[in-house]
Amino acid sequence: MKYLEIANSPLLWLSCGLCVALVLFQSTLFVRKSLSTARKLNITDGQIRSAVKSSLTSSIGPSLAILAGMVSLLVAMGGPVSWFRLAYIGSVAYELMAAGFGAKATGVTLGGADMNGIAFAAGLWTMTLGSIGWVLFTALATPKLDKFRHILAGGKKAALPIISAGAMCGAFAYLSLDRVFRMDKQTTAALAGFAIMAAFTAFNKKAQKQWIKEWSFTISMFAGMFISVLF
Amino acid sequence: MSETMDAANGGDLFEKDYIPYITRWGLITNLLGVLFSFFPALICTFVFGLNPGIGAIIAGFIMQASVSGVFWFVEPISYFPVLGVPATYMAFLSGNIGNLRLPASVAAQNAASVEAGTDQGTIIATVGVAVSIIVNIVFLTLGVVLGSSILSMLPKTVVAALNNILPALFGAMLAQQFIPNPQIGTVAVVLAGGMILLNKYKLLAFLPGNPVYAVIIVAVFGSMLIGRLMHEKGMIK
Repeated sequence: MKYLEIANSPLLWLSCGLCVALVLFQSTLFVRKSLSTARKLNITDGQIRSAVKSSLTSSIGPSLAILAGMVSLLVAMGGPVSWFRLAYIGSVAYELMAAGFGAKATGVTLGGADMNGIAFAAGLWTMTLGSIGWVLFTALATPKLDKFRHILAGGKKAALPIISAGAMCGAFAYLSLDRVFRMDKQTTAALAGFAIMAAFTAFNKKAQKQWIKEWSFTISMFAGMFISVLF
Repeated sequence: MSETMDAANGGDLFEKDYIPYITRWGLITNLLGVLFSFFPALICTFVFGLNPGIGAIIAGFIMQASVSGVFWFVEPISYFPVLGVPATYMAFLSGNIGNLRLPASVAAQNAASVEAGTDQGTIIATVGVAVSIIVNIVFLTLGVVLGSSILSMLPKTVVAALNNILPALFGAMLAQQFIPNPQIGTVAVVLAGGMILLNKYKLLAFLPGNPVYAVIIVAVFGSMLIGRLMHEKGMIK
């Protein structure tokens, strides 16, 4: 039996499907609870609709990028594993690296001419073991992270949004400057995305147009991409 | 009067009912997530007999852990103030945090005009992350159905262009934070930029492993703490 037949076998689809189902189950549980709580916190249905619309359109671009990265994973690891791993923990970069490390541990290059079932299994083990740290840590420590955040805010609830703003500025400054300093098309894309969104945000400070709030990320992201291709 | 009462009850409900429910189910589902994630590997080895041997499994794990190990802790701690309790469980079970979950939750909060870090912001982030999970799974399912043979027929220019979506998105996310908080934004850019350059010129090499984690820690925690200091001194609202 060739290993890709095993990799695409019904039993593997079943076990991978179980993991994807768990992700959907958790989301359903949390969203139901959130929606019933939202009403009591004076969040309107209009706000929920806007949130859904905006996160839906904003997720399309990144999902397309993940799909582009999926190609190399599909070739080496087959359908079910690629499908489940990209919906579960990790990211494209992580999964490719982990599969590569696993194959390397058996002395084989991932997706190379010598790629075989043993290397496939080792890749799968590495993907699994290398990523449980994130889920285990969040499973156990999330309530403590909430306490930690209150400590960072000096125990003042009013300071919590400042802590969040600081975290967001820090995280996105790192994520975007990491691309800016590459001095290639990614630099153009990051700067263009920044400039377009900055214009939207500055304009909307006074204008308060709801369509800008909902669409500005999607427009900035695709416009930045097109500009980087053109220049 | 009744409105303030409602808000007070709402706050109470959030801490006493909502968060305990989420942390109980978050613990259960994420622990199940750890367990379930072993099934595909276990099936390959014990049903189909593809056994790389314990040595190779440990070697692969050590290679990966030396790269990812720090991030098991740094990422949840750094992204928590944006995501809040429920979205943290969801984001780390579903993965693709920086490139998908974080942008989706920020976009949702922006559209609903709520602030991250507030009770309302936490609820809206949950909705945003859930939507991104569904969109992601739909696209992945499409990808598997189309298969690698069709996906690899995409023109090279399209694939190259898709690689530039994320940098554009990250730039846009920074701008959306920077414009309303120019002081914190400047601090963040200086800290992140400085640390990236220090790392680029190998000046962080005294740290163990690949020091990218130090860049993230300084950028995120530096901005949080300096932001709080500026807030206390009345330099920002």
